[in-house]
Amino acid sequence: MKIFKNFIIIFLLLILNNVYANENSERNEITKNLRCLICQGQSVYDSDSDFANSMKILVDQKLDEGLSENEIYVYFKEKYGDWILYDPGLNKNTYLLWLLPIFIFLFGGAIIVKSFILKK
Amino acid sequence: MIYSVVGHYSLILGLCAGLILTFFSIQNFKNSNQLDTKILSFSFLQLFFVLISFLALIISFVISDFSNETVFNNSHTTKPLFYKISGTWGNHEGSLLLWLLVLTLFIFIFLLRTKNQPIKYKILTLGFQQVIIIGFFLFLIQTSNPFNYLFPVPDEGLGLNPILQDPALAIHPPILYLGYVGSSIIFSSALAATTLKMVSTSWAVHIKKWVLISWIFLTLGILLGSIWAYYELGWGGFWFWDPVENVSLMPWLALTTLLHCILVLERKEILTSWVIILSIATFTLSMCGTFLVRSGILNSVHTFANDPERGLFILIFLFALIFLSLFIFFFFHQTTKDNSSNFFWLSKETSILVNNWFMMYFLSVVLIGTVYPIFLDVISSQKISVGPPFYHKLIAPFLIPFLFAMAIGPRLKWIRSDLKDKIYLISLLTISILISFFIVKNFNTNILINTILISSALYLFFITLRDFFLKKYKNFAQNTAHFGFSLLILSILFNNLFSSEIITNLKVGETYDNSKTKIVFESINQKTEKNYKSIIANFNITNAEGINNNLSPELRIYNQPNITTSEADIKTTLMRDKFIVINLVQNQDYFNVRYQVKPFMLWIWLSVIMISLGGLVSFLQRRI
Repeated sequence: MKIFKNFIIIFLLLILNNVYANENSERNEITKNLRCLICQGQSVYDSDSDFANSMKILVDQKLDEGLSENEIYVYFKEKYGDWILYDPGLNKNTYLLWLLPIFIFLFGGAIIVKSFILKK
Repeated sequence: MIYSVVGHYSLILGLCAGLILTFFSIQNFKNSNQLDTKILSFSFLQLFFVLISFLALIISFVISDFSNETVFNNSHTTKPLFYKISGTWGNHEGSLLLWLLVLTLFIFIFLLRTKNQPIKYKILTLGFQQVIIIGFFLFLIQTSNPFNYLFPVPDEGLGLNPILQDPALAIHPPILYLGYVGSSIIFSSALAATTLKMVSTSWAVHIKKWVLISWIFLTLGILLGSIWAYYELGWGGFWFWDPVENVSLMPWLALTTLLHCILVLERKEILTSWVIILSIATFTLSMCGTFLVRSGILNSVHTFANDPERGLFILIFLFALIFLSLFIFFFFHQTTKDNSSNFFWLSKETSILVNNWFMMYFLSVVLIGTVYPIFLDVISSQKISVGPPFYHKLIAPFLIPFLFAMAIGPRLKWIRSDLKDKIYLISLLTISILISFFIVKNFNTNILINTILISSALYLFFITLRDFFLKKYKNFAQNTAHFGFSLLILSILFNNLFSSEIITNLKVGETYDNSKTKIVFESINQKTEKNYKSIIANFNITNAEGINNNLSPELRIYNQPNITTSEADIKTTLMRDKFIVINLVQNQDYFNVRYQVKPFMLWIWLSVIMISLGGLVSFLQRRI
């Protein structure tokens, strides 16, 4: 048990060490989910291109105007289309995308139960 | 010039050796008392020719022979020697030649090292492997010849993309390919074993070594790619769910599933069909990856050099291979009738099935997430992006039961088991939950999911840690790998939760101070290297505890091609990385400075090394 006690102490120390508050954290959250349209597979947050920088400013503006995170996503989606959002919401284009893996999971479980568990 | 000719002709000779080998193996297969010595020598000859061709390409790169188109496109005289050499596989043609080299190398070692298996099986494996090899020869010679001749000979090459001029990336492709291509042996061997109806426990013991080799290399290859992305792409992440990364993750998931499944087949003849399907799937996924990366369908940071003609060739080849394997599977495979699948629901067999079940789910998430946008674009010309949020949402919740199963599973016995020392298991669970709650409580993140995730990872961590002391060397390989995995998940979670960053614009001499961190932009130096000029910025950073660090990120302006890259400066310590990177802002006299404190970064790498170490131990272990 001594090891575990030590671990608890280490973890508690870590907590104290790491209480940083992120400035811009809301803006960062949002820009991580936006694609930089002129880059190759980078998010606005990751990119330092002119496009990304102006997007960051735009996100700040929208936040100042009091828009919520979701409203900002809707705003960008209307302006640039679905391509800009890294999180493809559930809509008629993406039912299959979201549900197919879940369906495969259920199907796999059913196969295992049927052929190995119930067979007795 | 002369080297290109040598290289080109050895390629053709290698192809001829492949055709002759196929002919001999068919003959030898008909009257097979012993392995024809000609087969071994021609297999060696083929390896030799490809090696010559590969060396010829390396030499062309080293001496900067710009009459060779590949060298012209990817090299430059001022490049350091090390990157001239690594430039050989830093491009499409060269990397395919490397594929071919590994393909021929592996089959040769396979022929040499496989002792206690039937001759027919060896010959047939060689035959299937030759189908793949000949396919790659044709692909290389037809669509991506590395030895195309340029006339008039240019004076200077176009240079290698600077972000590829990096030590980690120099060895990343060879290691990754050893993993990718190693799965071709598993593929050929599974097809051969199916045809000869010898998928059995002894075959499983034999092929497990090959599965382990590919798995170790693939794991390390992915790790190297990830480390490279972390410090070279310059934004402090290590996994972006980028299509090209996903493409390397998919064979890894399939291979990991196969590795666990083989453990069952090693002991009794069940799950035979499943093992064959997985063996086929692993290589097919590797090929799919090559197709997706090379055809330029994907939008990714990593795509380079692409051409629709190449995509089409690989696609046709891929379908031919899938068709061949399906044909063999359905015509030759017989499921064992007696079905000794009598095991209690609580047993090691069940836990391995659970592993397979979840792994297949993760695989399907990654696969669907990667290819769905392509299909949607083709069908309805709607462009959507599938990024990190999608993967996190679908994978994180399923990781919880998966981690618990990983902790409990290995403790179970074969066939029938019950849980021993329940008190210990439950008390460890309580401790894990308490600790995670304490950790998460201090942050206004989503408390519930994070607490549960961290507790499940901690649980696995404690249980495997305890097993190290309790069981000593029994199941050491498995325990190491599982312990490494728990450490990996914990490090990733803590890294996500506790990372902090400061983004600001600074001129030389300015100071940024937010009461916790003080960043002083002290000075700037310039340096001229052979193939780039660099601007080195010197920062002095003081954190809340008064610890002082000097960090010097760099901007490199490469001359050929003219690209500017940011080289991050990273101060790595056991507990956290301090990561700073600067960027030019156009028409301004200040720099964009991004400073990040990333806890547990080192542990992410170490835990992956530990996971592969588990594989290595298992590989070196004799079966008891």
